[in-house]
Amino acid sequence: MVATDIVGIAVTTLILGSIYGLVAIGMTLIYGTLRILDMSQGSMVMVGSFIGWGILVVAGLNPILAILAAFAATFILGVLTQLASVQPLMKRRSAIDFEMVTFITTFAVAMVLTNVALELLGPFQRNVTSVVSGSISVYHGVNLPYQSLTMALVSIALMAALGVFLARTRWGLAIRAVAQDLDAARLMGVPVGKLYPLTMGLASALAGVAGVFLGGLYFAYPQAGDLPLLEALIVVIFGGLGSLPGTVYAAYAIGLIQATAEVIVGTTWSLPILYTVILLVLIVRPHGLLGKPSEARL
Amino acid sequence: MTGEPMLQVAALRAGYLDTTVIRDLDLLVHTGEVAVLIGPNGHGKTTLLRAISGIIKPSAGRVLLEGQDVSGWPAERISTLGLVHAPQGDGLFGEMTVEENLLMGAFPSASWRNRRQEIARIYEQFPLVAARAGQRARTLSGGERRLVALGRALMRPSRIMLIDEPSLGLAPVAIDAVYQAIGNLKRSGATLVLVEENFTHVGAVADAVHIVEMGTIIASGPYAALSADPAIVRTYLGSL
Repeated sequence: MVATDIVGIAVTTLILGSIYGLVAIGMTLIYGTLRILDMSQGSMVMVGSFIGWGILVVAGLNPILAILAAFAATFILGVLTQLASVQPLMKRRSAIDFEMVTFITTFAVAMVLTNVALELLGPFQRNVTSVVSGSISVYHGVNLPYQSLTMALVSIALMAALGVFLARTRWGLAIRAVAQDLDAARLMGVPVGKLYPLTMGLASALAGVAGVFLGGLYFAYPQAGDLPLLEALIVVIFGGLGSLPGTVYAAYAIGLIQATAEVIVGTTWSLPILYTVILLVLIVRPHGLLGKPSEARL
Repeated sequence: MTGEPMLQVAALRAGYLDTTVIRDLDLLVHTGEVAVLIGPNGHGKTTLLRAISGIIKPSAGRVLLEGQDVSGWPAERISTLGLVHAPQGDGLFGEMTVEENLLMGAFPSASWRNRRQEIARIYEQFPLVAARAGQRARTLSGGERRLVALGRALMRPSRIMLIDEPSLGLAPVAIDAVYQAIGNLKRSGATLVLVEENFTHVGAVADAVHIVEMGTIIASGPYAALSADPAIVRTYLGSL
């Protein structure tokens, strides 16, 4: 391996890991708090990419506005998704297979959103203008597009902000408290009826911002959330369900494996190698990198 | 002052799914009183506290806080009226630090503003808690956990505090520390409801004692009278 390869791997790991992390971290936040796998998270990426397209291409406005609008719109959509597909089941939580039923109800929301997008916007792949254009030469032969660099930096900033929010703020602590002991959190006065929708809104907003960037890398189209959803599921399970640090480690670990395989054996082999490694790791550690048998709670 | 009792429970029924645990239970706790619920395990003491604080919904009967009917309210709403419940098993947030647990005690917005002063006050009162401030709650010993749970309960002003088995599972020295804190609370004029399995530790703090058996109160009276009645001591409480 030469220096160019190492720099190339590092750059690709940074980019892939950051965006995997941003797409997956909301899913972990939701699983840690509500104990559900939110299958609508991919749709939030799709909605975010369409908002990116609408604001950057159709309206020709500022990228920062696109990010803020995607955040706000998918936040509201996440709140509504929780109210429509999860909240009505909360009271019967102990009497039903809550995790499985909400897996299906949130999946139903995802299908509705995909098909509404298909009906309203058609099956076309829309080019989303890059948030920033141009690239920087990191090292001989290794170019880093500003779009990817910005995406990585914004992802890292948002993940760090989420960490600070959960560690330092009143509502962030309340989310962790609810995740760890629901009854005790209620005794502290935490209004869980409001907290659950807000948590899902927040998680969805992170996926929505990821969508603006992913739309720029690929396209905005009704199924644009399918692959990110699958990737997010793999990252959160690989990291250990419900563990936020696990999700971040897993995102960069997967980025590193994929980047290394791409550089050493080529792009066509990177995915088979990646999934073989994931398969082997999960056989050895079925609870994921940082998951615990009791399941991590944020 | 309204002249109403701090807590009034009337004809309360409560339980889980199809099991009724509390049956037609009546209880009065006056302002500034320390009431102790005593009785064998599995006879509904913990369920009663959970029904009062709203963690479980009573199926019949009423719970009044200073005359205000809170029956059927969710726990988070009752909590805002100034009812603090230190639950069985401490209810600490295991992955959070001791200090984060204390901060959660000040969750209501009015208390949140004073959280720093309150934490400083708790640390002064419980140096053992201060020494563990940055440690995750799940790594604490039983006695440390109980003190953190008490400290967290003290992080906000309360009108009435329910404490479930403060001595459960603790070494004698830790029990002394916990009851010393409860004694301080009593002297400050707090209204308390304690649950214990027997008379052993409550002598110095109890005003009224209520004996809970089969989900209802079968005897009530001043501590001195009940603990001096050999029939009651022998039948329901084992030896002193």
